[in-house]
Amino acid sequence: MGAATKPRLSGMQKQVLALYRGFLRAARTKSPEERSRIEAIVSQEFRRNSLEVDRKNFLYIEYLVRRGKKQLDQLKSPETVGLVSLNVEASQIKKS
Amino acid sequence: MALALRSSILCHIRVPISLNLPRLTAVRSMSSSHDDHLDKKEVVDRVLEVIKSFPKVDPSKVTPDVHFQKDLGLDSLDSVEIVMALEEEFKLEIPDKEADKIDSCPLAIEYIHNHPMSS
Repeated sequence: MGAATKPRLSGMQKQVLALYRGFLRAARTKSPEERSRIEAIVSQEFRRNSLEVDRKNFLYIEYLVRRGKKQLDQLKSPETVGLVSLNVEASQIKKS
Repeated sequence: MALALRSSILCHIRVPISLNLPRLTAVRSMSSSHDDHLDKKEVVDRVLEVIKSFPKVDPSKVTPDVHFQKDLGLDSLDSVEIVMALEEEFKLEIPDKEADKIDSCPLAIEYIHNHPMSS
């Protein structure tokens, strides 16, 4: 009942989605090959985190959003032509 | 010439239209002058086409009434991708606030149909 008036997305979800959108927008400004590569890396990263990160772990999500924003700023720069992902993440994430 | 005039005028009308979605219905009935604008049928067809071509979507399930998450089994990240694909298809830029609300075909069609810049 109350659910109908409840906002569909939490503030944090909106931040994450806005960040995702930002990355996809930035990817559009790069060359077609880079664009699809960026999209693949970014979407993989977001999906992985959406599965691995506990939705209540706000501190960690906030950290990821902050880090993502910085990465996005770098990606937006015209000097940045593409993205490279390194798979060091997996070992770092092993529960702190 | 006429085109340039049209787009310069449209630039100015753009602001009042970008209201909250719930109010769009009201706006729409007030501005019935959609003459030179995309017609509803075309918007519907193109929106459905974009959604059907989305890799995770089963094209046979796509109708003008589907809800992205409830009916098509997509998540919020997929919704973002669909809305971005629609932006490109109709050469729009949908602000985050509006984009977050578009979670179903009817809302997408409604928004695009009412957007003066969609083409």
